[in-house]
Amino acid sequence: MKEILKITASLTAVCVAASLILGAVYTQTEHARKKIEKAEKEELIKGLLGFGHGHEPPADLMMHSVQRYVISDPSGSTLLGYVVPVKEGKFVLVEIDLQGKPVKVLPVDATAAQLAEAGTRDLAVNKALTKGGKAVYAETFYVADKGGSRFGYVLPGVTQGFKTFVELMVSLDPKFTIMGVAVEKHEEDPGLGAEITQDYFKNQFAGKTLETLAGLKVVKEPLPADYVEVLDPVKTKRAKLTPEQIKEIKQKHLKDDIYALTGATISSNALTRGVKDTVRKFVYRFDILKKAIDQEKVQVAF
Amino acid sequence: MNRNVQLLWNGLIPENPIFRLALSLCPSVAVTTSVKNGLMLGLAVVFVQVFSSCTVAIFRSYINPRIRIPAYVLIIALWVSVIDMILPVVSPAIYKEVALFVKLIVAFAIIISRLELFASKEPFVPSFFDGLGMGIGFLFGLCLIGAIRELSGAGTLYGFDILGFRPLMVMILPAGGFFVIGFIMAGMNYIEYKLTGKVPSAGGAH
Repeated sequence: MKEILKITASLTAVCVAASLILGAVYTQTEHARKKIEKAEKEELIKGLLGFGHGHEPPADLMMHSVQRYVISDPSGSTLLGYVVPVKEGKFVLVEIDLQGKPVKVLPVDATAAQLAEAGTRDLAVNKALTKGGKAVYAETFYVADKGGSRFGYVLPGVTQGFKTFVELMVSLDPKFTIMGVAVEKHEEDPGLGAEITQDYFKNQFAGKTLETLAGLKVVKEPLPADYVEVLDPVKTKRAKLTPEQIKEIKQKHLKDDIYALTGATISSNALTRGVKDTVRKFVYRFDILKKAIDQEKVQVAF
Repeated sequence: MNRNVQLLWNGLIPENPIFRLALSLCPSVAVTTSVKNGLMLGLAVVFVQVFSSCTVAIFRSYINPRIRIPAYVLIIALWVSVIDMILPVVSPAIYKEVALFVKLIVAFAIIISRLELFASKEPFVPSFFDGLGMGIGFLFGLCLIGAIRELSGAGTLYGFDILGFRPLMVMILPAGGFFVIGFIMAGMNYIEYKLTGKVPSAGGAH
């Protein structure tokens, strides 16, 4: 009996000491870690719009983030809510029903900094709702304006990969043609499925228009040699192609299907399907949101 | 030879965790599809092994022998978590590469077996060198397997294109990992047999 008490006490002491150390380290590093994560995300978005890696975006490039919420109304119906920036740094929540009809526009009492933080944002949105409603965060997409005209969109997406989910981001130009694709998080097999993060694969999506994308397939054929040289920046440098040659080769392969990765057809299919779905859903939703904004005469910032 | 140097050398070749002790074979097969993966996981293991060995060596007289295994697991998990939290702040670029591997280390057989067999019986300094030697031996093993598999499976080394084609696709699949480890083990046993004239004893595997 005595020994079991001694063992219990000693194991408890080890656990308490370990948790104290962990707690101390966590509180010391949490702030810095969050800051780095945020900076990385911003860098990724900038990169997708064609900036970053040394060349800074122009000063008149304005990024607006729009959050999508799924709202359960007290009346029992499900609504979609978009947190949209309006003039003078304020924000409103545009509620749209599932048929695409605008329901109402509610003011959101929060600053941009509060909206950037997940916890305070959820609180502010739920406070803005009519009593009894509940809002659940879905995703954030970004609208980029340059000098008063539309520059592009950056949207997040999720798809089912070989083992688990693949999180991706797609940037579109104002005509919804793909500018770039990035894989944010994945657990595909290294050397096989993980090749979806490589430039020579994901750059195949760039330049695909909405019409091409709708019928886009994955073909099990080797990548044409001249196409690889354009897709992979390292090889482009080595091949010493002129800008005209690059443009010509890109034009030649613009309507090609996606060439599957050797040994990773499932991952290739997954990313292609993910990009297609993400873009299709976004174009549909953004169209509805735009109509709702016009109808309700919301003075949006973008 | 100085005992500390001997401990370092011991972990590298005579008691190499992968090829001689046959411990932690699961990660050795799973992540060694490239030299880079091997190097990153190896580095993470070196840190966790050294820190855990030192901690156990310092507190070995306070740990009740009947609860030593849970205590060791806690110590390893503590160091893994601490590294997982500090590394992204100190060096985000390195963390990006090793993040996936660091969390795996809690379950590595090699670390707990060194704590049980060595650090729980020896003072601080030899434990440090034993941990370092074992860590470096593991790092060396992972890099060697990774190099062979990457070169033959993907035609590259550390991401640089060497061959320009993929000679043996099977090598970067899990089966290739077993082949490479098996052949290296056989080679090392053969060399030992030639040098000492004794048939190497069979090892256990985890």
